[in-house]
Amino acid sequence: MIRAGAAALRAWSRGRGWAALSTAPPAPPAAPEPRREEPPVPPPVLRSCRVPVVPPLSPVQAWVGSLRHPEDTLRGLADLHPDVFAVTPRLDILHAVATWQRNYKRISHARVRSRAEVRGGGRKPWRQKGSGRARHGSVRSPLWRGGGIAHGPRGPTSYFYMLPMRVRVLGLKVALSVKLMQDELHVVDTLEMPSSDPRYLLELARARRWGRSVLVVDTNEFPENISAAAEGLKSITLIPALGLNVHSLLKHQTLLLTLDAVAFLEQRLLWHDARYSALVPFSLPHRDLPWPPPAG
Amino acid sequence: GASRKEEREVEADRAVPEREERSEPSLIHPPPRRRSYVPPKDLQSCLESHVREVFGPSVPQDWQQTPLQENRLKHRLLARLAAELGHAVPNSQLHRMRRAGDVLGFYRSPVKDSTKIDELAAAELPPNLKIIWQQ
Repeated sequence: MIRAGAAALRAWSRGRGWAALSTAPPAPPAAPEPRREEPPVPPPVLRSCRVPVVPPLSPVQAWVGSLRHPEDTLRGLADLHPDVFAVTPRLDILHAVATWQRNYKRISHARVRSRAEVRGGGRKPWRQKGSGRARHGSVRSPLWRGGGIAHGPRGPTSYFYMLPMRVRVLGLKVALSVKLMQDELHVVDTLEMPSSDPRYLLELARARRWGRSVLVVDTNEFPENISAAAEGLKSITLIPALGLNVHSLLKHQTLLLTLDAVAFLEQRLLWHDARYSALVPFSLPHRDLPWPPPAG
Repeated sequence: GASRKEEREVEADRAVPEREERSEPSLIHPPPRRRSYVPPKDLQSCLESHVREVFGPSVPQDWQQTPLQENRLKHRLLARLAAELGHAVPNSQLHRMRRAGDVLGFYRSPVKDSTKIDELAAAELPPNLKIIWQQ
């Protein structure tokens, strides 16, 4: 692990590039003694599942890296719960949840006038018999040019529907499992960065071959450096763990989770496996919910 | 007259730092790590020495049956191997590495070089050129 000093960081931002960051520690001036050149190895960051894993299943694992240097990817090993990160890849559920996310907010405002709403057309244009023309009752019937539309879109239409809560939860689990199994999921201990330059983030993503878009998830607040760096970038998005959704997971190529986010997701998603069905909507106060009751 | 000269100066100022960046590509944009991996010939002995070094006396007679249950030792072993061979076990395969024999099998399989279009996609591109190549 290479620690970048303030002077090296300034040189890097001026455009000197990696040559400034990767300066080796200055050689000792006059000590010819052969000393061991092993830098102090930090203890590995290990994470085990808080929710116990039932015996036939075994936890899946992921490397724990960090954003402090592009080469710092093998800091530790995290155990991930198999019921969240190693679920059967149900693509039909992914499709259902992604479609639901697109449609449940949709209100289509398309509206066309019917023959009753078009201005005019109350009088019979000509007599029923004897004029030689086809018989008509109104100049605004759908047969006429300028007339109303017979079966057109009528007014604001809502496409709201809700998938069962367990289906949406399973969709998240399937999406996370698919990301892990396709090598697009990375775990990081914290989101601390040495600089708030967006170029640093882009080059880190490029060096680690993360892909064109990165979704970064943390529990509550993001450190200043990464939020400043990602503010101007379109390909790197920061979201809190509560905002994780299937559409964002599918839209971004890589997912970056912190250890806190992994614990949060495991706790919330696994609770649904072992809960009672709701007799009363969860928005009303309950005693045994896994999340803290809303204030007020 | 004067405004046009100022515009040209501004454009020249903008062009100059761009030329500086282009003239030193290797410093500012380090190439991403190569995905290609060819197993070395002394892989088995190298792996065995690492396993014995990390696990110490608790290695059974057949070193390939050493279980990698404890995360600390597993991380140490796999991190050392990744540093030495330049090829780390990806996240999707980590749960399959249960014994030292699994690790040996993983490191025996070579990883192919990317195709030319993949290399082009990963190489230096002007910012307005994107290559989307899906196999």
